[in-house]
Amino acid sequence: MAVVEVSHATSEHIHPPPETFVQKYVFSFDHKVIAVQYFITTGLFFVLAGLLAELMRAQLAGPNNHVLSVTMYNQAYSVHGSAMVWLVIIPVLTGAFGNLIMPLQIGARDVAFPWLNMFSFWLFPPAGILLFGSFLLGAPEAGWTEYPPISLQEPAGTSMWCAAIFLVGVSSTITGLNFLVTIIKMRAPGMTWTRMPLFVWATAVTAFLSFIATANLSAALLALFIERTFNVPYYDPSRGGSPVVWQHVFWFYSHPAVYIMVLPAFGIISEIIPTFARRPIFGYKAIAYSSTAIGLMSFMVWAHHMFTSGLAQWVQLPFMILTMAIAVPTGVKIFSWVATLWAGKIRLASPLLFVLGFLSTFTFGGITGIFLASVPADIHEHATYFVVAHLHYVLFGGSIFGIFAGLYYWWPKMTGRMLDERLAKLHFWTMFVSFNATFLPMHWIGLFGMPRRVATYDPVYGGTNLFISISAFVLGASMLIFAYNALRSAKHGELAGPNPWGARTLEWMIPSPPPYYNFDRIPIVLAAPYDYGQPLPYRDVAPEYLAAVPRF
Amino acid sequence: MSHHTDENHLDGGFWRAVIVMGIISALGMWGVVVFPIENYLKEAAQQAADIDWLFRFMAFFSVPILVYVNGFIIYFVIRYRTRPSDSIQATGSPIHDHSALETWWTIIPAALMLALGLLSYKVLPEYYGAQAAAVTMEAIGHKWDFEFRYPGLAQSVYNDLYLPIDVPVTMDITSSEAQADDAVIHSFWVPEFRIKQDMVPGMVVPIHFTPNRLGTYRIICTEFCGIGHSRMWGSVHVVSQADFNTWFATQQKQSANGGPKVNVASGDAGAGQALFQQKCSVCHNAAPFDQRKVGPGLADLFDDPQHPALVDGKKADPADVAEILEKGYTGSMGSMPNMQANGISSTDIANLVAYLKTLHK
Repeated sequence: MAVVEVSHATSEHIHPPPETFVQKYVFSFDHKVIAVQYFITTGLFFVLAGLLAELMRAQLAGPNNHVLSVTMYNQAYSVHGSAMVWLVIIPVLTGAFGNLIMPLQIGARDVAFPWLNMFSFWLFPPAGILLFGSFLLGAPEAGWTEYPPISLQEPAGTSMWCAAIFLVGVSSTITGLNFLVTIIKMRAPGMTWTRMPLFVWATAVTAFLSFIATANLSAALLALFIERTFNVPYYDPSRGGSPVVWQHVFWFYSHPAVYIMVLPAFGIISEIIPTFARRPIFGYKAIAYSSTAIGLMSFMVWAHHMFTSGLAQWVQLPFMILTMAIAVPTGVKIFSWVATLWAGKIRLASPLLFVLGFLSTFTFGGITGIFLASVPADIHEHATYFVVAHLHYVLFGGSIFGIFAGLYYWWPKMTGRMLDERLAKLHFWTMFVSFNATFLPMHWIGLFGMPRRVATYDPVYGGTNLFISISAFVLGASMLIFAYNALRSAKHGELAGPNPWGARTLEWMIPSPPPYYNFDRIPIVLAAPYDYGQPLPYRDVAPEYLAAVPRF
Repeated sequence: MSHHTDENHLDGGFWRAVIVMGIISALGMWGVVVFPIENYLKEAAQQAADIDWLFRFMAFFSVPILVYVNGFIIYFVIRYRTRPSDSIQATGSPIHDHSALETWWTIIPAALMLALGLLSYKVLPEYYGAQAAAVTMEAIGHKWDFEFRYPGLAQSVYNDLYLPIDVPVTMDITSSEAQADDAVIHSFWVPEFRIKQDMVPGMVVPIHFTPNRLGTYRIICTEFCGIGHSRMWGSVHVVSQADFNTWFATQQKQSANGGPKVNVASGDAGAGQALFQQKCSVCHNAAPFDQRKVGPGLADLFDDPQHPALVDGKKADPADVAEILEKGYTGSMGSMPNMQANGISSTDIANLVAYLKTLHK
């Protein structure tokens, strides 16, 4: 390996820490405080959106239930989907995990534009208020995709939805730009691209996608808002508009968004497996470059969401082939992760348990994605519970399992306290079993004829739906175990110390929680971080942090 | 520092695990073959069998991928777990990569995807390639009904589609643009045909299929289209050519007579109640007038002085209500589709009126 000549920057410019409460905890510029703000707000939105899901399952527990009115049911699933995508998964993976971990892992003292970082967080609470407040004026009913023309006919809540998602989009674009500049310009001396931790690779590709793709959604939302408010016919077919234009532009954003929602989770997985298998990640370059390939290809597959929208056959063909092609780099990642477990010294702690859950469920979701890529099969499966099952296997089985893996892994770094390991394992098994019990049966009822977005259904699906609903209630209850564990750790959690898992990336080379401005001296990086068994590849790190041996 | 030992990783234990996973995979693949979808959802159109075959192809090769990914995870976690005797500093193999292995796990999935792409491409034209269709007709989505127009039939047929068996059909699919708020996207799905096409206002998309199994199958809307979406169902009746001709002749005669007459006095309240739950309850509560859904509550429709006069400013009587059910309503309380659009017969109207008479507060 070539030795890279490096030296310290000559001026180390450190501001004094903020003093007032507002500067410290409300309008803070500190990436770690902003990350915690993201965790708390997205956690709140996760609870609200999750409760909507439980209400939906209560309605669907029987074929002709009247728990919710039809309108309330339609509003519930629309706000559930919108909130989970835009107010929970995207911001928790980029805003929370990206903010907390990425600057630490590249040895930086903060992101490139701290004020923008603060601004971009503060776009979130108003977006959440607008989205959940839309119930007051008649929340959107056409699902998170809000296809016109039906979305043009809905009450004023849909305009609030437009505004909410627009704000989230602005925030996402700014964060994307901020992270890209940070990763390109602020890596510690010696941290070449192939010495970057894989979470940073994933965050870089995600930031690129957020920065490039989100503006398309903003344009489509603006047009929808203008048409609803000022009656300019972008989408209304009776006056020369085209409803299919919305679908194209929406999915031109929303397919890359699928990867915005899962690439950072891939990054989390790539950090956790080597730490708990006590060996180098298998195929570092394959994993890093396949993230990049997936990111670029994600812009070329959007129309696979529209195979029944009346596209010409010659248009469907390339979208089908490219969608299937994405399975190849995704497979490379999964096989590399499994191969990292091979010949390791595996410590089956809670973060790894959630990772293994992720590998199992995400692989399943990836495979049903191929079933949906094949046009003739998709024509039967499209817009049924098969799709509902698939998307929850990738977004819940993928993203949410990845998020919990990351939470259990970095909780000690963020708070300085350990979570209780037995409660963590109880949480995992309850969540893993009830997740599969909830979403696996949906594949069959979808294939056999149950469409999505319905408040009542043919009684033949009654038994299966009752089973799904009961499982969904258990799944919801499993989250309480985490909430209890998190609260409990504040008082009873063991002190974590700087590096409880014996990991080797830079965030573990400083105290927990990290001090203001992170690093006393910016470390110098000599090699990639995953060579377990070798001395740590850092210079200018205080010697007491250099013993990377697991304590738990 | 490193406590890695040079144990043989590809030993008997490894190969035994591989064989066990192979047996589980084989059982799963056998299951895919012997329990085809057709056992649970009939194939009632010609291309359905090809699509099911494609589905089975995908399921068949998915089984070993799932079994080996999950199996290796479980096997590695058990075999390579840290044991109490291990040093806290123990680490695993220092191997970073293995180019032959990585090449294979790129090439094999790529080849499978290519094969799947080619097979899908082969099945695909059956939807779009025009055959010599013997029936060319139109399907139009409404809130919340499927309208079908046959050549040679003056009036449309609502929700009950009749097709002769083994005759290729070309169906031009679109959505209503009659009024601005009726123009939304629906989707025409017949699960037994394995056919789905969005009904997009302003776009006409022809689809082609050949029903090949007698029976009645459900038509389901799969694009959200408003409050009635959950119950936007129709039926397709695949019948013999002779039965089709009889049905078609009856339709033509009805068309010439301006439709059948309603006998309001002869209704069955029980049948009316079932129909009310199925159709009317989407928009109406069986409750007092002020408990509105889309339309007003219908309890005490004939006796409650709170009910505004329905027709001609006089108190509602059964004949007036029957007329509204037959012809639809547009006025101060909103609008309601006519009997064709609601997919109800004149007997149904009589039954509904009989049921509404029994509805008290």
